[in-house]
Amino acid sequence: MTTALSIAQLEKSYGAQRVLNGVSFEVPKGAIVGLLGPNGAGKSTLIRSIMGIVEPDAGSIHLEGRPWSREVVRGIGYLPEERGLYKDMRVGDQAVYFARLKGMAKSDAVSALRHWFERLEVEGWWDKKVSDISKGMAQKIQFICTVVHDPGLLILDEPLSGFDPINARRIIDEVRALASSGTSILLSTHDMPSVERLCDEVVMLNGGKVVLSGGADALREAGWSGQQEVVFKGNDIAFTNALGTLGHLDGITVEASGGLRRAQLRLREGVPPGQLLQALGGAVEVNEFVKIRPTMESLFIQAVDQTAAETSAP
Amino acid sequence: MMRGSLIGAVIAREWRTRVVKRSFLIGTLLMPILAVGVLAGTVLITQATDTTNVVLVEDAPGLISRVDPATGQQVPRCPGCFPERDKLTYRFTREAPADSIWLEEGFTVLVEYDGSVLQNRAGYLVYDKSPGMTAKRNIERDLSKAMEHARVLESTELDWQAYQRLKFELNLIDREANGDMARTDGGGEEVRGFIGFFFSALLFLVLSVYGGMILRSVVEEKSNRVVEVLIAAVRPEELLLGKVIGMGAVALTQLVAWSVLSTLAFSAFQFVFDSGALGASLPGQGEVPTDLLTAMAENEITSILLDINWTLMALSTIGYFIGGYLLYGSIYAAVGGSVQSEQEGQGMVIPIIMPLMFAYIIGSGAMSNPEMGALTWLSWFPLTSPVIMLVRVAVGVAWWEVVLSWGLLMLSARIVLGLAGRAYRFGVLHTGKSSGWSLLLQWIRGHGS
Repeated sequence: MTTALSIAQLEKSYGAQRVLNGVSFEVPKGAIVGLLGPNGAGKSTLIRSIMGIVEPDAGSIHLEGRPWSREVVRGIGYLPEERGLYKDMRVGDQAVYFARLKGMAKSDAVSALRHWFERLEVEGWWDKKVSDISKGMAQKIQFICTVVHDPGLLILDEPLSGFDPINARRIIDEVRALASSGTSILLSTHDMPSVERLCDEVVMLNGGKVVLSGGADALREAGWSGQQEVVFKGNDIAFTNALGTLGHLDGITVEASGGLRRAQLRLREGVPPGQLLQALGGAVEVNEFVKIRPTMESLFIQAVDQTAAETSAP
Repeated sequence: MMRGSLIGAVIAREWRTRVVKRSFLIGTLLMPILAVGVLAGTVLITQATDTTNVVLVEDAPGLISRVDPATGQQVPRCPGCFPERDKLTYRFTREAPADSIWLEEGFTVLVEYDGSVLQNRAGYLVYDKSPGMTAKRNIERDLSKAMEHARVLESTELDWQAYQRLKFELNLIDREANGDMARTDGGGEEVRGFIGFFFSALLFLVLSVYGGMILRSVVEEKSNRVVEVLIAAVRPEELLLGKVIGMGAVALTQLVAWSVLSTLAFSAFQFVFDSGALGASLPGQGEVPTDLLTAMAENEITSILLDINWTLMALSTIGYFIGGYLLYGSIYAAVGGSVQSEQEGQGMVIPIIMPLMFAYIIGSGAMSNPEMGALTWLSWFPLTSPVIMLVRVAVGVAWWEVVLSWGLLMLSARIVLGLAGRAYRFGVLHTGKSSGWSLLLQWIRGHGS
């Protein structure tokens, strides 16, 4: 068994509005899969369908190879985008309550929570009321409540919202650690840098459909259209002559120190970067030779624009 | 964890967060103390004011007293007009000494009037410390009769005995007809109706207060955005059930705690009272009856408490609370799920609470006429039965009617709970601005927004 979550032809409509339109994808075991899409793409409905909060009209969901059921779903760690805590409850009592709803015995819950509270350095907050702690601290508690029962699959919806950069890094490290220990993670976010840093695979939704999916590196590689950056020491004319017909030069800038020059160019289709490097070798002294792959953000915008164009086409 | 355990966890949270709270503990402790305090105050004040009074009547015109030739003492002309009363004795004089002297001689009250008393019907009651309402009433009654005696002798041809024989007062004794069965003692329906209404008013209050608490709790879970985490683990219907039962358990805890603490406080007061320890501390008090129940029976208000069948009324109240609470609590929860603020919810529950308010108003009317015909139907109708049937139980009702009424109530509660669960399922995730009954009914029919 290699998939933690398998979704096939999922459909859901609210009245005349079709929110999910034949969505299919998989989350491999131990992978971090980014779920991307503009607002209204159907991400929340998809996640709520997986969690059993919304009942899909058609399609199937399998978890760890087993058909969807309440009992299986309870094993998932779910951090919704719309999340909160009871303000008048003590932090520790509240965390134990959520752990018990996930099926943990009270003693196991307390012991696991103590471990996580220490790990995220919030052990001093156990007896505090939620109304007495900061928003960032509350976010940490919510994260702990999501992972305390050691779930095989984690669904995190905008997990970094509300965190300062230091604590966001802390959570990213924890997510990475969980993935390395075998936890599969579906990460829904608009934060593209965190997708690039974290995700092994990406599923992009738009208009209720999967418009792009695959390995994060593979997608960026596939989206590469010849952009290259070269840092060199030498003459601009020599550089341009060496480039010749291999590609198109977008511009050359002079670096602040060391007499270095930075050139941005786009290779002609079919020209491998190695061929350019070979051609430049005799003309200038190449210090850096970097393949500029598209960012997740540009892929995202490109996919959304493409879908919009297809939809509006006659 | 089984589904029942999940609901149990929800119930436990609802119960714990409300019961383990200073305000709940204070409210729970204060109520019985206040109740027994009011009772104790009433009894003790009655006792305190019911002091032994020695009344000196200054009968200046000699209307109601004369000199006994044998003893030379001033004695009443109509000895029968001054029946023997506890803690009230009379002495007569034609001319009273100065206040300081009669007070020193042990009199507590001086009554004085002049020859015009038969016309203007007024005199003075002079005292150092008030003799109390009961004593004053008895003095007025006794002296009025003595004056009446004087007037009869003065203005009619009849003698006093003949006048007494002609006086007529009709006394109607209650008897209940039981078909072909022998008649039984009747009467007391109004008092029992009052007792029933007291319990139904209590139930009305508890249903309204705790229903409002459910509404507030659901709205709070929506506004603090806990609900999505919850319903990922627990079905919305189960969450609703857990909330209703949990909050109901809080109310039951309070009701049971009030009953137990009130009983304990009453027993403690009874023990202290019966031991006579309070006698010495009462102002101007010589002797206090050593039996609290007797003392309560002597007071018009506290004597009603002795007429209550507490066990029957407590069981009925709890039974109808459970049914009524499940019914109304479910509706409150469904409404809470469909609105974005408590104020909005309060507006929506007005039509729901109307039958209960109607029942409350009818229940108050039932105090004066506890056997009015409409009560029978209203005591079977689930939306009004929790309040109305308690009045009927207090007055007396056939057992099968109670079973039918409670059965209908529980059946309705079960159906409403199911429908409310459906509405709640859609409602708790609804964050749009639109709300209202049409949306709620749409959700009940199973159509999400």
